[in-house]
Amino acid sequence: MLTFDTIAQVLWTSFATSTCLVLFAVAFALVLKVNRIFNFAQAGVMTVAFYAAHGAVSGAGLPGWFGCLLALAAAVAASALLEVAGFRSLRRRRATPMFVFIFTLIVSEMVAYLAMLAFGTWPTTIFPSLFWPVTLVGGVAVSAWDLPAIAGMLASLALLAGFLRLAKAGRSMTAVADNPDLAELYGIEKDRVYLVTVVVSGLLVGVGMCLYGSRAQVQPTTAIELMLFAVAATIIGGIGNLWGAALTAVALGIVQNASVLFIPAEWQGFLLYVFLFLAIVFLPNGIRLPERRRGLARRLARVDLAAADGAGPAAAAGPAAATRREA
Amino acid sequence: MRQSASTVSRRALVAGSLALAALGPRAARAEEALRFGMAMPLSGGQATYGQDQVKAAEWAVAAINQAGGVAGRKLEMIVLDTRADPQAGIQAANRLISVDRVPAFVSAWSAVVKAIAPVANDSRTVQLSVGANSADIARLGDYTYTTFPLAAVDITAVANYAARQMGKKRAAVLYINNETGTVAAQIYRDVFAKAGGQVVAYEAYDPRASDWTGPLLKVRAAQPDIVHIQGLVADTPQVIAQMRQLGLTLPVTSYSAVYNPKLIEQLGKAAEGVIATSLAPGVTDSPAVAAYVERWKKEVGREPNGLPYTQYLYDAPYLVAEIYRSLAGKKLALTGENVRKEMIAIRTFDLPLTGKLVINDDHTVTKPVYLMEVKDGRWVQKAVVE
Repeated sequence: MLTFDTIAQVLWTSFATSTCLVLFAVAFALVLKVNRIFNFAQAGVMTVAFYAAHGAVSGAGLPGWFGCLLALAAAVAASALLEVAGFRSLRRRRATPMFVFIFTLIVSEMVAYLAMLAFGTWPTTIFPSLFWPVTLVGGVAVSAWDLPAIAGMLASLALLAGFLRLAKAGRSMTAVADNPDLAELYGIEKDRVYLVTVVVSGLLVGVGMCLYGSRAQVQPTTAIELMLFAVAATIIGGIGNLWGAALTAVALGIVQNASVLFIPAEWQGFLLYVFLFLAIVFLPNGIRLPERRRGLARRLARVDLAAADGAGPAAAAGPAAATRREA
Repeated sequence: MRQSASTVSRRALVAGSLALAALGPRAARAEEALRFGMAMPLSGGQATYGQDQVKAAEWAVAAINQAGGVAGRKLEMIVLDTRADPQAGIQAANRLISVDRVPAFVSAWSAVVKAIAPVANDSRTVQLSVGANSADIARLGDYTYTTFPLAAVDITAVANYAARQMGKKRAAVLYINNETGTVAAQIYRDVFAKAGGQVVAYEAYDPRASDWTGPLLKVRAAQPDIVHIQGLVADTPQVIAQMRQLGLTLPVTSYSAVYNPKLIEQLGKAAEGVIATSLAPGVTDSPAVAAYVERWKKEVGREPNGLPYTQYLYDAPYLVAEIYRSLAGKKLALTGENVRKEMIAIRTFDLPLTGKLVINDDHTVTKPVYLMEVKDGRWVQKAVVE
């Protein structure tokens, strides 16, 4: 059973299918880090993005690329609406984090219900066909979906990293994530940064749903189920650590899939809860690499927003630098 | 002027009342419709199916009334929403029994039917389960009957057919880890083994899974000659797609949830050879079904969600009408007790869209199972298992 081909196949497929989960996890971790919101309403944005693409491609017969662009636009619009009409209003009323959290849960359920009324409960995909042609590489089946999905995920993460490091808005997000009040003193408009953050998160979600919905069937409640994975990856990866959430999403996907080779498949889903339970009880700050390795890991893969360097305008670098001094 | 009009109106009212009184209770009864209830999900997650099923039943009631009704009286269907929720189902049943005073009502969804059964038994009102397929439905007491074959019927048929007619010796069973999957997978395993085959892989998968590589590789390693997939409408097409992508070109069997045109659209050539069950005749088997599907396309612009289920719902008012007609012919009161006795006495019904129905003493029904196979991009009938 445990042949090289079997192990290679499980590893490859798990990695490919985790691409969309990575994007959902990073989107969730980003809003949590900058806006400090456990944004379960992300499920609503995911649902909006999917049905926009589905309506355009399967419904109106428009090309796939147009459907994906529409999904991105819909996700951005839904995210902006959520921030402006929801989160901003709650901030002004000084709502407690628990209240905001409940609000996000209500939004996700509300969108699922509306999608149910509008599109029914029949599972659907973006493209009419679920089947992707396969090429055998050695003994491993590589589907035509796998490589574009991996490329899409890597490109999205690279753009995000570039945006956070190089763009003024990205550095402002870093500053607000670090210390929102201090950032405001340096002239950064917090509300604008919060809006940019949910919009960037919406873009990631849009790409993720285009990938997910072109391979798997989606129902109005699918996004809510996917959120558990994003939350688990964020917590285990270390809250506030974007790339930690991304790597954890890949690792969780692989472990969950590969576990079937050793344990009965019905326990596969249970594993996620076990990891989540253990992480919350024993690793409330997520998995932290030993100090000696962290420097290298940080350079290679980890952009901890709190530790981002202060290159660029002083306005953005100030709060981050202040935190380093305190540390 | 206003006063005059009012006086005339009052006089007309008094005259009308007197005329009605003179005609007596018989005339009033002649206009009174014969009622039955329908408790179905019209809102919530299952509404897509529930609404189509109710529409089918409404068409049937209209057709019955257009053809003269039941013993000269109109048939009236009172529809209430259950949201496919047991508690809402009990409330709907109480209302139908206590307020609308129906002697019989139709319901569906196993959890709802089970929850309503004690209410039906206590009030001696007949509950006709139309579409729920849990094996427990046959054991819910004297006043709950089904017109829909229960779970074991089609799974038994497909397992027997694979082993005996197709000559398969090594089956792999891949099933979703919930009540739908586990119970049916056990039935398949037992029947296939009893028919002389061997189940070489028996793999469950998580209901939230979006990738099935692991279980499918286990199936591949067991080298079966047929694979039975017992999943839901959401995951089964994806499992088949991934199975084909992993190079497993074996014949696949499944059950009625898979039998829909969408599977072919989603899988293309990968759907070729997939065998599913249908518990009602299809468009190629019956001109009445073909006309019914055409009517859907013409009036609603699409085929109904869960075609076979809507066929059973279309037939339910015909079954009720036949029982009511028989009771009227014998001049017996329309009570739940009499409806039950008459239904058992008639026992065999010939219904427009699902054909012959025999109600057995053990509260099950006997129906043929239609095995459908994807061939050249369309569903064709492979066999009928009686």
